[in-house]
Amino acid sequence: MNLDWSVVWNNLPRFWDGALMTIWLSIATMVLAIPGGLILAFMRLSRMRLVAKPATAFVEFFRATPLILQIYWVYYVLPAYFDVQLSQMATAILGLVCNISSFNSETFRAGIISIRLGQWNAGRAIGMTDAQVMGRIVLPQALMRVLPALASTWVSLFKDTSLVSIISVADLSYVSLKIRTESFRIFEVLTAMAAIYWLMGYPQAKLVDWLHRRYKVAE
Amino acid sequence: MPSIVLWPITGSWQFLLQALWTTIVLSVLSMVLAFAIGVVVGALRTYGGRVLDLALGFYVDSMRAIPVLVVLVWTFFAFPLVIGHSLNVLTAGVIGLGVHLGAYMAETIRAGLTSVRRGQMWAALALGMSRIQAIRTIILPQALIRMLPALGSLFVFAVKDSAIASVIAVPELLRQTQVVAGNSFRPFELYTAAMLAYFLLCFPIARGVDRIYRRLAHLGSS
Repeated sequence: MNLDWSVVWNNLPRFWDGALMTIWLSIATMVLAIPGGLILAFMRLSRMRLVAKPATAFVEFFRATPLILQIYWVYYVLPAYFDVQLSQMATAILGLVCNISSFNSETFRAGIISIRLGQWNAGRAIGMTDAQVMGRIVLPQALMRVLPALASTWVSLFKDTSLVSIISVADLSYVSLKIRTESFRIFEVLTAMAAIYWLMGYPQAKLVDWLHRRYKVAE
Repeated sequence: MPSIVLWPITGSWQFLLQALWTTIVLSVLSMVLAFAIGVVVGALRTYGGRVLDLALGFYVDSMRAIPVLVVLVWTFFAFPLVIGHSLNVLTAGVIGLGVHLGAYMAETIRAGLTSVRRGQMWAALALGMSRIQAIRTIILPQALIRMLPALGSLFVFAVKDSAIASVIAVPELLRQTQVVAGNSFRPFELYTAAMLAYFLLCFPIARGVDRIYRRLAHLGSS
């Protein structure tokens, strides 16, 4: 096997653009999926069944089906059957946001439940409304507790953005697979793709470990 | 909105059922491979000393950093160039998915093994057992029960990730759904049916494992 790595160096700007797109997609998705997850978590915690049940169904559904299929579904079904025209980028983000919001909502819900009931009672006893107790006492503590779990979701999201390449969003994997088909230097290009993901993902995985140690909840 | 018809699904039900079976086989085989990797890597990282821990930690963290899609594509297209002969798609799929999931499995098993108190290892060694014997007969059985919920969610991940093998054309459910959707021009019915099939596969696994765990949880406490 004779290797020619020049294909990688010559295409560095394209890899770079792809990597930027991957980062951008991850950030955009997370920015939307944090409020999305919070809303779903509040809905599931609601005492009104009409609010809680649909949220539960949404979350369970998106957690139990493959993201790649969700992306296909949004891509093929929305324009053809509901007359919604979205760009590929918007389709990708919509699919990712629904999926990650569902995972985030479980994280937030666990965090909120983990705060002892006594804190609610104490808040009410000093005359706060339920919304105030949630906003000022429960939620800030819950968010600190779930920070490591959120960080883990972030790393999975970062990896999962690679799936949008199937609907031709020009992220790192789409760009790499394209360069592979153009150049026929299969081994070099695919190894470079893995290496670039590794370079970006490895420090993040390590950071998550650090967050888990730093913010470990001791009961 | 065009009307919904069922003929694309009923007309190819055998083809799709075969694909569903491939999805199950692919998920189970990759889960088995991941479990084998996980037990070895998890045990060596826990009991094998610092050098092994660092070396295998590198494998685990690398797999946490590289997307499954990339691992699969690399295994199918690039790895054969290294070994000199091609892999069939199912083998490549099982290897790619298994090696990726193996890292997560290793972390789960390591957490399970460290959760069993050290005194039990000492007690087993004091009774004259070898380390391997102690792990196999004392530590691992308890750890496995404690790990059940995590194993259940990893299995759900295995099923969901198996859909990504469609990218290297493993004839599993998503891939064959694409084929039928393309031939019949009915993506809505086909993709929705596939979605339901995955849900019906994954949701009971998660719930079933939780139920089994509640039955067995007391066996894991010490």
